Amino acid sequence: MKEVFKDLSPFHVNPDRVWTELNLEAADFEPATTVEKESMVEVRKSVSYWRDAARRFKKNTVSMVALVVFILIVIFAFIGPMAIPYDYEGQIRQAKGLGPNQYSKVEETIKSVEGQFDGFYATSLQRGSFTALNKGDYVINFKGKTYAFTFTEKIKNSIIAVKADEKEPLFIVEETAIRNGEVLMKTPISFTDTAKSEAKELALSKSVFPHVFGTDSVGRDLMARTMYGARVSIIIGMAAALIVLIIGSIYGAISGLCGGAVDFVMMRLVELIYSVPEVLIVLLLQVVLKEPLQAWFESSDSAFVAVLSDLGAGIVSIFITFALLYWVTMSRIVRGQVLQLKEQEYVTAARALGASNVRIIRRHLLPNCVGPLVITTCLQIPSAIFLESFLSFLGLGVSAPMASLGSLCSDALATITLFPYRLLFPGIILTIIVLSLNLVGDGLRDALDPRLKK
Amino acid sequence: MFSYIVKRILAAIATVLLVMTITFFLMNAIPGSPFLTEKSTPQQIELANEKYGLNEPYIIQLKNYVVNYFKGDLGVSLKMQEGADVGTIIFGQNKFLISIKLGLLSLLTSIILGIPLGCYAAYHRGSWIDGLLRVITTVGVAVPTFVLAAVLLIVFAVKLGWLPTLSGSLDNPLAYIMPVISLAFYDICYIAKLTRTSMLDAINQDYIRTAKAKGVKNKWIVLKHALRNSLIPVVTFLGPLTAGIITGSFVVETTFSIPGLGKYFVESVLNRDYPIIMATTVLLASLVIFMNLVVDIVYKFIDPRITYTSKEA
Repeated sequence: MKEVFKDLSPFHVNPDRVWTELNLEAADFEPATTVEKESMVEVRKSVSYWRDAARRFKKNTVSMVALVVFILIVIFAFIGPMAIPYDYEGQIRQAKGLGPNQYSKVEETIKSVEGQFDGFYATSLQRGSFTALNKGDYVINFKGKTYAFTFTEKIKNSIIAVKADEKEPLFIVEETAIRNGEVLMKTPISFTDTAKSEAKELALSKSVFPHVFGTDSVGRDLMARTMYGARVSIIIGMAAALIVLIIGSIYGAISGLCGGAVDFVMMRLVELIYSVPEVLIVLLLQVVLKEPLQAWFESSDSAFVAVLSDLGAGIVSIFITFALLYWVTMSRIVRGQVLQLKEQEYVTAARALGASNVRIIRRHLLPNCVGPLVITTCLQIPSAIFLESFLSFLGLGVSAPMASLGSLCSDALATITLFPYRLLFPGIILTIIVLSLNLVGDGLRDALDPRLKK
Repeated sequence: MFSYIVKRILAAIATVLLVMTITFFLMNAIPGSPFLTEKSTPQQIELANEKYGLNEPYIIQLKNYVVNYFKGDLGVSLKMQEGADVGTIIFGQNKFLISIKLGLLSLLTSIILGIPLGCYAAYHRGSWIDGLLRVITTVGVAVPTFVLAAVLLIVFAVKLGWLPTLSGSLDNPLAYIMPVISLAFYDICYIAKLTRTSMLDAINQDYIRTAKAKGVKNKWIVLKHALRNSLIPVVTFLGPLTAGIITGSFVVETTFSIPGLGKYFVESVLNRDYPIIMATTVLLASLVIFMNLVVDIVYKFIDPRITYTSKEA
């Protein structure tokens, strides 16, 4: 290319100079190479709707933090139970009514005498102190094996002994038997597997997991129960939101698409349901549905009913409630979207090409109103969790062997003056779940539908 | 206007009737008779059915039930206080009065605190107080009522011993503080949020700019122009607010063991005392429906631009 182009800055162009002084000819030009051409192309890759929304969402610090918090809670609820040695229904007899971060009696005793037994560990059954035993070595023959261990004054009137690497022998050595030089054994005593395995861990001088949230009055670990309850609450919330999503969007889409008399009738029904105070009806449904549901669970033996039966009548009636009453908001939103969208040209084009109503809904309408659907569904989850915990707190909803955050709080209410933390831990977790989901929902609304931004 | 009000009243009555019908049929959907216990003999059941008119066809039963309800005969308790008249239980034993007192106090508290807080936050938008209020209101709408009630109970009644609980003495005005705060907190936060948003909306309107151009002081702009227009969404919230306070009262009265209608309703639900459940549900539902009706009519007066005919078409 000619040197003269170098000072042809667009701001200093003097047309006279260009056309008279430069004196250019066609031969002075040469075609640009492909590389040169490409370097001039300034087209950005088209950004998809979701990528665009994700970018907006990532910019929103509050929502991102809320999302991280929610993910942490999900990990706590779903993976946590694998990480701690307790389960939600195991009752540890020696660990009734413990405060936060305490060890069960078994573990405490074990901790106090730890290291004094060669390959054994021992624990007291807490029947008062025993001081008559002298320090010394004892030898026990048990099942053809000889075990040796030492008593100290810390040991009370009977001990439980187990060899560290063996599974089965877990026995009580009676005080009198030891004194006579014999061994009287009671096997096995009913420790939970958790307590046994814990005892083993300790014998191998590993550290034992404390009851971080304490235990309840029958010796169940509260952290395990809180994790379990959070899991139940989250699953119920999501399932209920899904039910609302499915029913609400189908109803709304049909209503909006058909229009006319169908729409009129369908929307009157929505208005009626809307005007009924739903929580009162929910309470009523909880009472009324229980017996028929249980009868149904017992009479039917299909796999689906078995799953429902495991969930319990309380949870199933929560789902039924959502299916009956809570889809109306969703259906209104979808109907509004559909009414707006069905006037679009591409829908007319699809119809002209002979597409069926079902196809139009599936291919054209639903994908285009996915934003509001996602937002409403996401905000439905915390409200479902709220409702479930409300019902469980009142003694409805989740029933006995199961636990949810609401039922944990309800259980704790009776002893609230003595053990306030029993209500506080599940209560705080519940608050954090609802708060983080609310904030994530707000962020999604801003990201997916910037027009709605407050 | 008049025809609109008549229409709304008719719709409200229809909704009450709908609730009564739903309640009635749900109660009848329970297998077996509500009078059926392990001990009852066929003769006893027959007698009970006769006595309560349960042998009639459902439609007649429903008619009798509705007619009796409007006559003030709400039925007879089956389990909780056997044989006692439900109307007497609800209204005669101060239960309704306590709950209404509590509910009205909470309603007033949430409005009296919520609106000024929202205004203040909007007026001082971006200040640290606005930020603090935003955090509090955001967290506030996520705290379940029973958690808040329990925390208040632990801190102020058990640990500090500052406030008495209502179960002890109903005459002590201090005893109302904790239940009212627990009931109203969510609504205070919600109303504050709502007011702030709609206030900020209103501030961007043309008439505010005009007022500013005229040289009206900021304070008067907020009070005379922005506030009045931003109150409309708050008024619509009054319906859900009433419903929320009623359901909240179930939890709060249970937590603080207040002998009100809410606690009684929960107990009757747990005991399956069907006539009480039915009567209370219909009563509370009517209350909510009535509140919604009032809101709709008030709304029309506040903002005559709203034409319901076009909205409904």
